[in-house]
Amino acid sequence: MSLVSGPGRAAVAGLPGDMHLFVDKHVRYIQRLDSRKDELEYWLTEHLRLNGLYWGLTALYLLGHPDALPRSGILDFVFSCLHEDGGFGAAPGHDAHMLYTVSGVQILATLDAFGELEDRVKGGRQKIGKFIADLQDPKTGTFAGDEWGEQDTRFLYGALNALSLMGLLDLVDVEKAVQHVHSCANFDGGYGTSPGTESHSGQVFTCVGALTIAGRLDLVNQEKLGAWLSERQLKNGGLNGRPEKKEDVCYSWWVMSSMAMLDKLHWIDGEKLTKFILQCQDPELGGLADRPGDMVDVFHTVFGIAGLSLLKYPGLEEVDPLHATIRHS
Amino acid sequence: MPKFYHDDEAWADIAPLPQDDGGLHPLAAISYSDEYSEAMGYLRAVMAKNEYSDRVLGLTEHIISMNPAHYTVWLYRANTISEIGRPLQDEIAWLNPTALKHMKNYQIWHHRHTIIDALGSADGEAEFISSMLEKDSKNYHVWSYRQWLVKRFDLFDKPEELEWTHSMIESDVRNNSAWNHRYYIVVGGREGKLSVELAKQEIGYTQAAIRKAPQNQSPWNYILGILRAAELPKSTLKDFTCEFADVQRPEEVYSSHALDILADIYAEEENSKENAAKALELLATKYDPIRANYWNYRKGLLDQPNIAA
Ligand SMILES: [Zn+2]
Repeated sequence: MSLVSGPGRAAVAGLPGDMHLFVDKHVRYIQRLDSRKDELEYWLTEHLRLNGLYWGLTALYLLGHPDALPRSGILDFVFSCLHEDGGFGAAPGHDAHMLYTVSGVQILATLDAFGELEDRVKGGRQKIGKFIADLQDPKTGTFAGDEWGEQDTRFLYGALNALSLMGLLDLVDVEKAVQHVHSCANFDGGYGTSPGTESHSGQVFTCVGALTIAGRLDLVNQEKLGAWLSERQLKNGGLNGRPEKKEDVCYSWWVMSSMAMLDKLHWIDGEKLTKFILQCQDPELGGLADRPGDMVDVFHTVFGIAGLSLLKYPGLEEVDPLHATIRHS
Repeated sequence: MPKFYHDDEAWADIAPLPQDDGGLHPLAAISYSDEYSEAMGYLRAVMAKNEYSDRVLGLTEHIISMNPAHYTVWLYRANTISEIGRPLQDEIAWLNPTALKHMKNYQIWHHRHTIIDALGSADGEAEFISSMLEKDSKNYHVWSYRQWLVKRFDLFDKPEELEWTHSMIESDVRNNSAWNHRYYIVVGGREGKLSVELAKQEIGYTQAAIRKAPQNQSPWNYILGILRAAELPKSTLKDFTCEFADVQRPEEVYSSHALDILADIYAEEENSKENAAKALELLATKYDPIRANYWNYRKGLLDQPNIAA
């Protein structure tokens, strides 16, 4: 899936009176993304290809068009990113990394394709689980992204997320991971990438998600964090990632899914946020941008739509706030 | 000026490896930038034979200048540096302008991290950070990196660190990253309890900042963090919050944050529940109606016995 931005832009002024979600336009937008190989940006974003595929696929599921991309083509690509050691790279020829491994697992979960994984790679699920488990730092409980060693609560959440989707949580020291997340709690109620770093909605999502998977939300000061998250809403209805920063559609997801896990979603004004998200659509060519007037891309498209799903926008499938995947019923 | 390898003598022994795009559309024509495409072909080729050399260093530099987010290139560069024993100062000298060009890139930071850690010296890092923050004063990577430096080189008690933080707050009192950093060096990154004297000093400092911009969340969060760390009650701030909000004069509220804290202070006082309710009512209806549900939830708590807010 291409991460190329554009071709279109979100409408600059508000859309006319009856605003709605342009489902068919967004479906076509996503279908067309992979036909843009003549653009340099397509190749410059190759390091995000597997994430992009996951984002596009999830958007299609939420829009109620799960078959808009060919399943076998998707699986071929996913397996071509899988390394011998059980990790996924962003694209063939890219080193394995936690972020892509998580996307790989999420795609397999979405397509219910763990059976095909075993057909193609014997013991594949265990191999992937081992790749992830080996990235846990036994001293601190947190996770690195790859052998290079960068650590971040994003990787920790990703690890627990993927392992729980595969039923392999027992491969890691969950309690240690939990203690590490707890040590990232800040004075304002939020969480950062590591102990003491600034609170950020994206990192709040990863920390609350990890604690939810571990069944340890009791460690969260839920009222305080809920208040901090609700303070992310600005007068125009949009949400920001940190105090005194601009609104951005993707925070509709990071902020709201966290609030959903804390059961505090009603602390923001859903109607105003819905309006804001709808204003970020390109009504002509499809796709959503970070804010009105900017170029659209698949990242903001999926997280805008996932946000609308949490807001119970009519006609959308239900998103799972914890795994950021479609909710299998 | 584009750089090509196919007519470069120094690369004559290498046959570039073609792109394998994973079979989703294997036959699609690829006509993206020839320069990038060719450089990647040479990188795949040297990686396939595990070559670590000066020319590989130059090749990774070239690719990074075109696409700094390609993490595999960084990883290979890091390995090359250690294999050929490149002086780490040289690497930092190259990294400085590269980082300035690619502000939001993750890889650059981790690379810098490992190199400075191995060098064992933070000399020059403060200047580098200042030049980064001049371009984007709230850059998350830069501030996280600064915190790592403080911890790695134990800069907590260096007066320059607090002075610098002060200058950052001074130039933009709404910079939440700067307030977070201040908390980190005053309380968060240290062991042990915050002394009452230091707490008082920080409270005074923050109050002055709030008076400049009363509707600014960051110092309000900070001051509450300081109170908690020093185990002081919120009522310590009662007179101060009344400078910005008075429930008896609902037209003259200058800070919703003051009203929020005042509600908590009243809720804990004997016989002031009514005032607490008024403050929350004002927030729900007039000063922060977008979060009316939250404020109404808080109001509901007032009716429950023994709730410590
Ligand atoms: Zn965004």
